[in-house]
Amino acid sequence: MNAPERASSFLLDEDIGEVKVTYSADTKVSNAGTFRFNKEDHTVANILRMQLLRDPMVRFAGYIHPHPLVHFFDFKIQTNSSTVAPQEVLSSAIEDLSNETDHLITAFTDALDDWKKENEKGVMGL
Amino acid sequence: MPHQRFPKIKIISSAPQEIQFILSDTDTSVANALRRIMIGETPTLAIDLVEFHENSTVLNDEYMAHRLGMIPIRYQAPDSFKGGDCNVAFLPHRECVCYDRCPRCSVEFELDVDFDQVNPTRADDEVLAPLTVTSRDLKSNNEGVEPAHFLNQDEQDESQDEGIAIVKMGPGQRLKFKAIARMGISKEHAKWCPVAVATYRFWPVITINEEQCSTLTMEQKMEIVDCCSDRILEIDEVTGNLQAVENAHELATFTEDLKFTQNAMKKNPEDDDFVTVVQSTDRFLFSVESTGAMDADEIVLSALRVLKERLNYLAQEVDNLKDL
Repeated sequence: MNAPERASSFLLDEDIGEVKVTYSADTKVSNAGTFRFNKEDHTVANILRMQLLRDPMVRFAGYIHPHPLVHFFDFKIQTNSSTVAPQEVLSSAIEDLSNETDHLITAFTDALDDWKKENEKGVMGL
Repeated sequence: MPHQRFPKIKIISSAPQEIQFILSDTDTSVANALRRIMIGETPTLAIDLVEFHENSTVLNDEYMAHRLGMIPIRYQAPDSFKGGDCNVAFLPHRECVCYDRCPRCSVEFELDVDFDQVNPTRADDEVLAPLTVTSRDLKSNNEGVEPAHFLNQDEQDESQDEGIAIVKMGPGQRLKFKAIARMGISKEHAKWCPVAVATYRFWPVITINEEQCSTLTMEQKMEIVDCCSDRILEIDEVTGNLQAVENAHELATFTEDLKFTQNAMKKNPEDDDFVTVVQSTDRFLFSVESTGAMDADEIVLSALRVLKERLNYLAQEVDNLKDL
């Protein structure tokens, strides 16, 4: 009766017009804004946060997942100067992460090939 | 781009059902994201709908359907022998444009076992025993898709069954159904989880303070070697010094005992330790064990692809925000 739909933790609810990301600039703090990521969890939030903290233009980056039963998180980013918008640093962080993942895929396939070669050699050596 | 990391991977051991590798030069968040995706968001096939025609066994329909859902289902690409990524060949059901189901989004399994028909064909000594209906009796309509009957060849050799047991039947019982398998992720239901275990450990950094160690007697050094249950230390025969065992890094899991023993040995509490074991913050030892649905290395690759797709999707959405 109260059970949520099985897929509600990762599929956007189109009935209420849910969008993946929304943004609202912060009124009290300069150069800051809050993003809301819908139907995402710590998997994405933590890697974004750690990547943003490596950027010297970012003064503050943090996320909060309010409750395990709600499937969104709020991400607050503050930059050092008004020339750089929070959306820009976020885009750049996502791009860095995407390139890192590409690098990982090639590194993994190469490592697999190396391992197979080494182990075939071993068998031949016997 | 400015702040990209360049992680490295080294494979320690790789078998179809288990893989161990070292991921280094990256952050814990990336290692954790990879682990979470392997457990929760890697797509696999599993039985999702069952249409029963006849079921007079001791298990009722929904119980049986639950058991069928948990059977790991293996997809083999036409040109390979590996349990591969089903994402390349199938669409999730909700994205497929077909009316009800089609070969593009689902696989049908049929099973029809009648005890009274099978019994005469069994060996004489088995005739009175219950008949085990196993995953071998499921007939698929797609050549590349079959239940994973065993984890690997060793298990197949040792087992007395012919596959995963579904139900045991007696005289007069009959089971006939059609099961439809669909692609999904473990966040929706645990039956779609491709891994049994996907974990990572931090790589230990073992430092031995030679100066402090020279103040120890041989008995004290033996005590330090013995106190650690993982046996990561040994005494060099030639020099009589404490040193780490060759594969100490892979063995070290619990090293708190070292601290206590050393504290008792130190002359002053504020002296340096003789042997310190610290966790590295950027080197991880991953261990991934598959359920049989996919080969372990395919699981890691599939998880990386899922992460890449997710990041690309987010990049697009954030770009849309900029235009607004």
